[in-house]
Amino acid sequence: MTDSATWQISCRGTTRRFGRRKKVLEALGPVDIDVPAGQFVALVGPSGCGKSTLLRIIAGLTRPSDGEVRVKATKATPIAMVFQDYGVYPWKTVIANVRFGLDCAGVASSEADTRARDWLDRTQLSDFADAWPDQLSGGMRQRVALARALVTEPEVLLLDEPFAALDSQLRAVMQDELLALTQARDHQPTVVMVTHSLEEAALLADRVVVLSARPGTVLVDREMPFGRPRSPELRDAPEFSEVQRDLWAILRNEVVSTLPEGAAK
Amino acid sequence: MTATTTTGSELVRSPGPAERNPVATGRQRTRRELALGIAIPVAILLLWQVAAYGDWIDRRIYPAPDRIVATGIDLAKSGALWDAFSLTAYRVLFGWFLGVVAGIGVGVVMGSSRWVRKALEPTLDALYVVPKLALLPVFINLFGLDEGPKIALVSVTVFFFVWISTMTAVMAVPVGYHDTGRVFGAGRWRMFRHVTGPAILPQVFVALRVAAGVAVLVIVAAEFIVGTTGLGYLIFNSRSLLLNDRMYVGIVVVALFGVVFAEIVRRIGNWVMPWAPGDAHPTGQ
Repeated sequence: MTDSATWQISCRGTTRRFGRRKKVLEALGPVDIDVPAGQFVALVGPSGCGKSTLLRIIAGLTRPSDGEVRVKATKATPIAMVFQDYGVYPWKTVIANVRFGLDCAGVASSEADTRARDWLDRTQLSDFADAWPDQLSGGMRQRVALARALVTEPEVLLLDEPFAALDSQLRAVMQDELLALTQARDHQPTVVMVTHSLEEAALLADRVVVLSARPGTVLVDREMPFGRPRSPELRDAPEFSEVQRDLWAILRNEVVSTLPEGAAK
Repeated sequence: MTATTTTGSELVRSPGPAERNPVATGRQRTRRELALGIAIPVAILLLWQVAAYGDWIDRRIYPAPDRIVATGIDLAKSGALWDAFSLTAYRVLFGWFLGVVAGIGVGVVMGSSRWVRKALEPTLDALYVVPKLALLPVFINLFGLDEGPKIALVSVTVFFFVWISTMTAVMAVPVGYHDTGRVFGAGRWRMFRHVTGPAILPQVFVALRVAAGVAVLVIVAAEFIVGTTGLGYLIFNSRSLLLNDRMYVGIVVVALFGVVFAEIVRRIGNWVMPWAPGDAHPTGQ
């Protein structure tokens, strides 16, 4: 736990139930997590443990049933989010998609254009500025989604399984790119990423939080013992495998517990 | 509903009323929605009643609701209302049924077969834009002056709505669904029974509902133009005899019939498609 002066996101007893009366589903919590400004946190946990729900609560898309989440902000729209799917609008060109957040914020058209092109550049999308998303591969579409989030210079960046729909090679490439992007500038957003991949979590995050099976509570909250800046070669380091192995030992029990009795021993 | 309140430079995500007390909020919402649905028409009727008796509007042209109800009861007692209603209902239901069967059939075939589509689409597209009422004289020549032309008119109108929706729905079925069926060896019939049919149902049922409303609309117009029976005739005949309260009885009965018909179609749809989100539950969730 960090003291209250430095956190950017603070979850206190955050709980979420769905449905009412007899069909109530305890989805999440109670969860207490403080995220200091500029930290990159990865949330991992078995399917249905409520990690995406927690992300949606931070984003303000869902309300908690109990407890609360506080987000420190200086801008009017301090949060940007990348969704696993459906985030990129097929009826907008690549550049129009990237500009979307700026257009919503009422940024002047010429400035929005400059900033959007700058981010298209950084994400190697410049040649596709006027293409339709349907003409792009899945990896490029997610790059559009990332550029759209980062162009707004968010104070908080929320990533909901951003690369889950990609094949594993492309996924590795995109992880490298995200690593470079989140280390490139001196002013970094606070990042919360939901992922199923322990490798992704260990590579990108400063801190990994493992949630239990439904309803998700914090099982383990661990700082990654790797400094910054990191390079993709970190994947080959023996400590990296060790960290992953440790986390998997904890997570595996939780995943197994969600299976029908006797399905996995 | 926004889940955001700002205190100074902090966004706070906290439970709202719907989270703190889901049962009561749900019940309250149901009650409020129901009340609104009833209150608006009641308010309009009341306003009408007051306006008629306060002489803000001419009662001979816009008779007060209570007069209309009284006339309606008289008409119902004499059997005239039932005669008109049953004929109109018969024409609508029969014509709608024929149009639906033909529309789904042609739509499925044209959606599945490129050849048939290329062969028929230009012709049907051209006919689609012809105002169907303009075809009434043709149907009279074809089917005489009895029920034939009216039922044909309803069928043809309904056919075009259902045909176009069904065809586009069949073409929009994701390739993956068909691939799975093909891999498992589904033949033509099984593919339709297990894959294409269910996949297009939601869109088809929307068309069936729209067509139900349009069928009522068309039959009223047709009854006005030919013959001396049905609710459409009742409405326009009353108008020319300056029996305005009788005219409104006809309008109200037609409206109720259309609403009930479309609602029945919707319920059948929700019942046939338990997997689809549907809109049967006004409270959501």
